[in-house]
Amino acid sequence: MPERITQAGQVLRINLSTQTTCVEPISPEILSDYLGGRGLGAYYLYREVGPEIDAFSPDNKLIFFNGSLVGSLIPGANKVNVTFKSPLTNTYSYSLCGGHWGPELKFAGYDGVIIEGRAEKPVYIRIENENVEIRTADHLWGQFMKEADLAIKQELENDDDFQIALIGPAGENLSRIACITVGGHREFGRGGAGAVMGSKNLKAIAIRGTQDLMVADTAGMQKLSERLCTALRAHPKGQVRREYGTVEMVEGINTRGYWSTRNFTQGFFEDGYKLEAQQMKDAIVVGSSSCYACPVACGKRSLVKSEKYGEILIEGPEFETISLIGANCGVSDWESIVKATEICDNYGMDTMSAGGCVALAMECFERGIITLQDTGGIELRFGNGQSLVKVLELIGKRKGIGNVLSDGVKVAAEKFGAPELAVHSKGLSFAAYDPRGAKGMALTYATSPKGAHHMVATTMAQENTEGNRFETRGKGKMQRDQQISMCTVDSLGLCATMRIAMPFTNQAEAFEIVRGIEMDEATLKKAAERIINLERMYNVRLGLSRKDDTLPKRFLEEPLPDGESKGQTVDLKVMLDDFYATMGWDINGKPTREKLTELGLQQIENREVVWFVKTGNRDS
Amino acid sequence: MNRKVLYVDQGKCTGCRMCEQWCSLTHFGVINPAKARIRIVRDHFEQVDSSFYCHQCEDAPCINACPPKINALSRDEKTGAVEVDQEKCIGCRRCQKACVHGAIRMHPSEKYVLICDLCGGDPQCLKHCPEKAIQYKEPDEIHDSIPDTIAEQEVKRA
Repeated sequence: MPERITQAGQVLRINLSTQTTCVEPISPEILSDYLGGRGLGAYYLYREVGPEIDAFSPDNKLIFFNGSLVGSLIPGANKVNVTFKSPLTNTYSYSLCGGHWGPELKFAGYDGVIIEGRAEKPVYIRIENENVEIRTADHLWGQFMKEADLAIKQELENDDDFQIALIGPAGENLSRIACITVGGHREFGRGGAGAVMGSKNLKAIAIRGTQDLMVADTAGMQKLSERLCTALRAHPKGQVRREYGTVEMVEGINTRGYWSTRNFTQGFFEDGYKLEAQQMKDAIVVGSSSCYACPVACGKRSLVKSEKYGEILIEGPEFETISLIGANCGVSDWESIVKATEICDNYGMDTMSAGGCVALAMECFERGIITLQDTGGIELRFGNGQSLVKVLELIGKRKGIGNVLSDGVKVAAEKFGAPELAVHSKGLSFAAYDPRGAKGMALTYATSPKGAHHMVATTMAQENTEGNRFETRGKGKMQRDQQISMCTVDSLGLCATMRIAMPFTNQAEAFEIVRGIEMDEATLKKAAERIINLERMYNVRLGLSRKDDTLPKRFLEEPLPDGESKGQTVDLKVMLDDFYATMGWDINGKPTREKLTELGLQQIENREVVWFVKTGNRDS
Repeated sequence: MNRKVLYVDQGKCTGCRMCEQWCSLTHFGVINPAKARIRIVRDHFEQVDSSFYCHQCEDAPCINACPPKINALSRDEKTGAVEVDQEKCIGCRRCQKACVHGAIRMHPSEKYVLICDLCGGDPQCLKHCPEKAIQYKEPDEIHDSIPDTIAEQEVKRA
């Protein structure tokens, strides 16, 4: 094998308050211990954003890091992560995005970019290799995603090679469910990163890179890439994703009766068959869209010609959007779902959280907790697509009832006087999976550092396969395994779908080949565990503990009323005990000293902000 | 001359840009889309992935546009591909302006232009296109599929 040159990389730091930038190297040791992407995000956020810092403070940071394989030939290696303190949950948060922005950042010569401070007036950042420029965005403030994107393109002399990450009006007006959008339709969706960007008066980051991606073993990468592409294309899951996108999951989750239906009052959506993959394909899909270097192309392009809403062309809606804007609001017509998605895209809102907010308002309306007076005359009933569309506009504008809802389900439900109806954990609303029908997801939602997000541990797939979704036993270990599995791909920059053809051994191999740093399965998993524990310690430092690892009463006490999961509730206590023990955490969910020492994190207990880890193979 | 040219079926392209990766790898041994001789541009609002690559035109306006004193462009006899002599090329961009397909770009750091050389008759982009959107065809089998507006824009930019 030819000699490998370690590719450790560097990070660009931009301070908007002082309008200064600098470039800092990343040491090979840190890369090895934290892998990249989500891992490096944890490392920097823990060190740099202390517990006293408010999410909207200039001292909060947006820490963007590419996964360590991004830009390479490894299929699906296009994910860039942003880590930040969330204004929605007031906890640790991170969010990943596919598309082409992350790779462009890499080709500009950076693994990451850290945004700190706050600009006095609206600005956007132009990065072209080593040239970084902060430009005025006064004229772009208030513009929809598309208008702002096109206007910036024009200012960049119509150079189509620029990739732009933007916020919309929702991010500007500090909606806590605002996202950051890349290429019009790909988002850093959850946790309110868009609002943090808005609080910094930052409208966009436009990037153009023309530098060579340095790879330690080019020939090895070519071979591995070809092998993995073939495996992905041959895999049944890969094939069904190619054909239908993530929407292929609708049928299974509805049949099994744990689909987010009407603010989770039900697990089966009787009109759900209309939203199944083949129906979508026949009704609205016009093409496929791929992220960088992905042979699956799960993104589906949809066209709706509607009398009510006119002609709409978008990428999506994907499974979670259909679930939370569709089923969760009782809406089953494509026109309204696509229109609703377009509104979220225009304003820059997370479709999942937005759907959760509208579903909450619908339940409150149907129960008489809020009235026509509160909604401004909107008949906010489940199944009313036009009302859904109207309310989403109001959320985007922060007008009327939308003002309350734009702060997320937890705050809104408290203001409505019905906190028990908010379906969330730590303030982040649920993904599509009702944990009563896949008990592992209860642990995912409850113990995730960022609140109820499914991609922290996608246990449902394993539970479906193993046929043990109602079981409480064994879910602690399953949760741990799945959290580790997600953490490695999130840190390497691989789309989670790639896991079907890329076990840990392939991931470790890819890391060695691309970065020239020794890696094996055990070290990779250990790094993931280190990252998960560090994320956990961030929240511990904020004062969070077992009491915060919880779910709304609905899931603990109200049995699902119908469908194939009828009668199920969640026994969270037993599962939490199991999970904490499996993780090496104490009964309050705090990592034990032994566990932290094992992971090389012992110094963080003493609040020392700089530490250095030597573990695994390199110890011996 | 029984020559073949590249053809990208736009209906099949999903914009993964693996063609760009393999192109720059093949010619430069590195991954760098800016050094690729095929280029995919997504209009994410029109939802189109347009491809820009050399069509190896019969009349080759690029070759004609190259100043006679420079004479950096020629036709490869074996493959029929337009060849750039890197030593001779001065990066004046006349060929770029003459190309109606927006297929010629400047090397990002050197003073010469990049034009598809069909990898000597075995195009690597086509081999690795996961969508089989890139094909190798006789010139009269192909129909230009780039939307006029985007092609015009590219020509304008050049």
